[in-house]
Amino acid sequence: MKSKKTIFCTAGLLLALIFLAAPQAAHTAPPWIPPDQIRYPALEFRMPQAQRIALKNGMFLFYLQDSELPLVSLTALVRTGTLHDPAGKEGLAEITASVMRTGGTAKLGSGEMDRRLDFLAASPSISMSLDSASIHFIFLKSDLDECLDLLSRMLLEPAFEEKKIQEALALKKEELRRTVDNPQTLAFREFNRLLYPGDPRGRYATSASLDNISRKDLISFHREYFSPANMLLAVSGDISREEAVKKIEQVFGDAKIPRLVHDIPAAPRQGGRGFFLIRKPIPQSTVVGGELTISKNHPDFYAFEVLDFLIGSGGFSSRIFSAVRNEEGLAYSAGSFYRARSNYGVFGTYAFTKTASTFQAISLIESILRDAAAGSIARAELDWAKRSIINSFIFSFEQPRQIAFEQMKNEYEKLPADYLTTYREKIEAVTLEDIRRIAAAFLHENRRLTLIVGDADRFGAWPENWPAPAQIVPQP
Amino acid sequence: MRTRNKIWIAFGLLLLLCQALPALAVDLEKKIVKARLQNGLTVLIMERKFSPTVSLFIRYRVGAVDEIPGQSGAAHFLEHMMFKGTTTIGAKNYPAEKKLLSRIEKTGEQLDRERKKQGSADPRKIRRLEERLKKLQNGHLRDFIPNEIDRLYTENGASGMNAATGQDMTTYYINLPANKIELWARIESDRLLHPVFRQFYTERDVILEERRQRVEASPDGKLYEAFLGRAYTTHPYGIPIIGLPMDLTFLSPAAIRGIHRKYRSPGRICIAVVGDVDPSKTMDLIRRYFGRIPDAGAPSARIPSEPEQRAERKVEVEFDASPSMIIGYHKPAPPAQDDYVLDVLEAILGKGRTSRLYDKLVTERQIADSVSVVNGVPASRYSNLFTIFARPRHPHTNEELQAAIIEEIESIKTHSVTEEELARAKNQLKMDYIKSLDSNSELASILSYYELLLGDYRYFSDYLPRIQKVTAGEVRAAAVRYLTAENRTVAFLNRKPASRKGAETHEK
Repeated sequence: MKSKKTIFCTAGLLLALIFLAAPQAAHTAPPWIPPDQIRYPALEFRMPQAQRIALKNGMFLFYLQDSELPLVSLTALVRTGTLHDPAGKEGLAEITASVMRTGGTAKLGSGEMDRRLDFLAASPSISMSLDSASIHFIFLKSDLDECLDLLSRMLLEPAFEEKKIQEALALKKEELRRTVDNPQTLAFREFNRLLYPGDPRGRYATSASLDNISRKDLISFHREYFSPANMLLAVSGDISREEAVKKIEQVFGDAKIPRLVHDIPAAPRQGGRGFFLIRKPIPQSTVVGGELTISKNHPDFYAFEVLDFLIGSGGFSSRIFSAVRNEEGLAYSAGSFYRARSNYGVFGTYAFTKTASTFQAISLIESILRDAAAGSIARAELDWAKRSIINSFIFSFEQPRQIAFEQMKNEYEKLPADYLTTYREKIEAVTLEDIRRIAAAFLHENRRLTLIVGDADRFGAWPENWPAPAQIVPQP
Repeated sequence: MRTRNKIWIAFGLLLLLCQALPALAVDLEKKIVKARLQNGLTVLIMERKFSPTVSLFIRYRVGAVDEIPGQSGAAHFLEHMMFKGTTTIGAKNYPAEKKLLSRIEKTGEQLDRERKKQGSADPRKIRRLEERLKKLQNGHLRDFIPNEIDRLYTENGASGMNAATGQDMTTYYINLPANKIELWARIESDRLLHPVFRQFYTERDVILEERRQRVEASPDGKLYEAFLGRAYTTHPYGIPIIGLPMDLTFLSPAAIRGIHRKYRSPGRICIAVVGDVDPSKTMDLIRRYFGRIPDAGAPSARIPSEPEQRAERKVEVEFDASPSMIIGYHKPAPPAQDDYVLDVLEAILGKGRTSRLYDKLVTERQIADSVSVVNGVPASRYSNLFTIFARPRHPHTNEELQAAIIEEIESIKTHSVTEEELARAKNQLKMDYIKSLDSNSELASILSYYELLLGDYRYFSDYLPRIQKVTAGEVRAAAVRYLTAENRTVAFLNRKPASRKGAETHEK
């Protein structure tokens, strides 16, 4: 079990070429030619497109047909998120989403709702993240009417039964109690919290904030955000365009909705910085570092994608993985991540290493970033990263529901309409000068935030040239 | 129990009849091309055209159970070493490199021998050997190109490249743009025939970190390891895949080579290719690259069978974390009829919010934070376990939760399951089945898995009709037969009292 990282119609004619290039007899020895010299036929990729349909009630529907299996997939994005939790009531957004699913509807009690859904083997999920809620629902096409009816009731007329609210609050408290048990979950939650000082994104649910949440809060949060006007929909699967449009308009068409439409929330003003420490007596330290960086709409976004890939998200050959894991044997999991949003981004690094090598791993990652910022990125490395990103692009389009979702997400993030169609050429256009310039401009050692979770008494002496760490005690 | 809604049952049965289930199975078999090469290697190919991509799985029926006692972790270690290149991938001058590699190995072996002496070891000798090893390893870094397999796959657009070692088998899988199959055939057949196990001792450190991450620092990992260790007294399913710490720390290159020899038995290899490919041309390509793999004649490991359990077993892990528990019962592996029956029971007990255990323990009595049921832990080449994973909700305890779970299991034995529950479980299994047909990699995974496990992938295509025939009486009989106190292993993880240090495991 190894941990590692995470694009249409040609076939026949072109594929044939690959086989003609080599001997056809079954009993000849395989040619051990260098793999770089294998000749591949061109892969013609026609990017499949979902249709963007404006519905009568003003909603937008992304639609793509796929009749291979008797399934229909419905997904939605809602402009909301945990960053809209009112101060002192952190956790409200998540509890609202959870109880929309479990707390019954105006016409159907919670028990009956669960029973019908389980019987249809249909499990809709409503999940809340930092700056959106997403809904995922796959069901048999024969259950279309029933499933759409249940989902729309859940979204538009949730009953928020009191006992279900209490259940959700209790389970959330249990989750908080257990978060400290898992060093990685704890480290990433606290890193996110520290990254956004003085910003709603940095506030997290606590047992105390959950105690301040009442049914009224859920009702008003739901009313504010879960209106069709604030939602994008995608439907794919074994359903015609006419039927999809008709059914969606039937169930969402005449919802009584406030006209309030939300926009993309403003970017955080600044990121947290310095060293932070959470003491936990376990034999392995979790180290997460990072800073705020450029957005998806920034002209250097594509260069930054390439930079992140070659620094630490591009697998074994990327710099952090290669140095920390393969050369030094300091970690099994180590690398970088770039979470780009429409108006800001986060670039970070991580490594999980034994207590004794905690500082060594941090120093090694810092030296890799410093080195990249100092202009060490070579053309071969850049070319490798660009080829990798461009060649794997087709995997974002493997399944129709993925395609419909990607296009919906584009619209949600208000990215240019040609974002997906021009992605590869923009990656291709990244030059060595670009990558060196942005590495120098955006990898700031003194703007970084570093969080260590581990057995701090056994790290050894705190390095003199590092700023003293602030100790954090996570709130249950 | 709640009152049942008769209309719903009728609707459910109607629904089941309307869906032409056998048609799915027939369709699947029509689309699959299966061939056995002359050397015994099995190939399954399925054409799916939506996207110009392909999923490629190669599975070896060699896993942790095939290790020699004292060498636990060797199969998983080999999986890591298979990414280190071959005599023609990553090599600059292999004959010269080979000499250096054997010097590294010799030094590493000397170092291990000295370290094994523990208290009586000579610290100066250890330091001297460590320095020599480090120097040789640094020198070696100039003599090869690291990460070449990954570099090649990645820049050719690979997605989801990885490998997994299980007790039963080891799997190497990747998704590639459909025009790149030859790259895969070139690399996979080469690393099967001519691998070079570079950076052995550094990788051992990496795997020790993996063990810390997955086990030592993880309450779930700790508990699972203790649970399996207690449930199996004799059969190797009780030994952790990643290796016991003492074995793993001193694992030798020779142990890894020993496992690799077992890979070279084409009868133990299955390849599955699902995606936008021409089946007959793909078959020719595979035959060209894999057809000449000789049989190394490595004998199968003699695997001791697990004696019947006659009394309840318990084990407790102390760890600085909220409580959690695992309950397991021995039962036969697929394709036994009772295994299908227990798949249905798994769904009845644990699938969905209205399943017995979720409804009773999480919703109604509010004593559980979570509960899940898995039929078939930890693997399926040998008889395995029907397993329940659960966590009490504060302030409830593992003991209370265990009692409540057993109460539910007893009620299935005395009152049987309802027709509604049975129909719901079958609908859920059908839905899971249909969803699994929606992904190249999932299909390649499932087909190669059953082909290698049972000698025939059609276990999968025949699965739903078999499930449809399961009756409430069979479910009850299986519960009576297997879910008994004598056949039970219970593992608890509890927070250690504040005064004691370190995680400890107590067997009872």
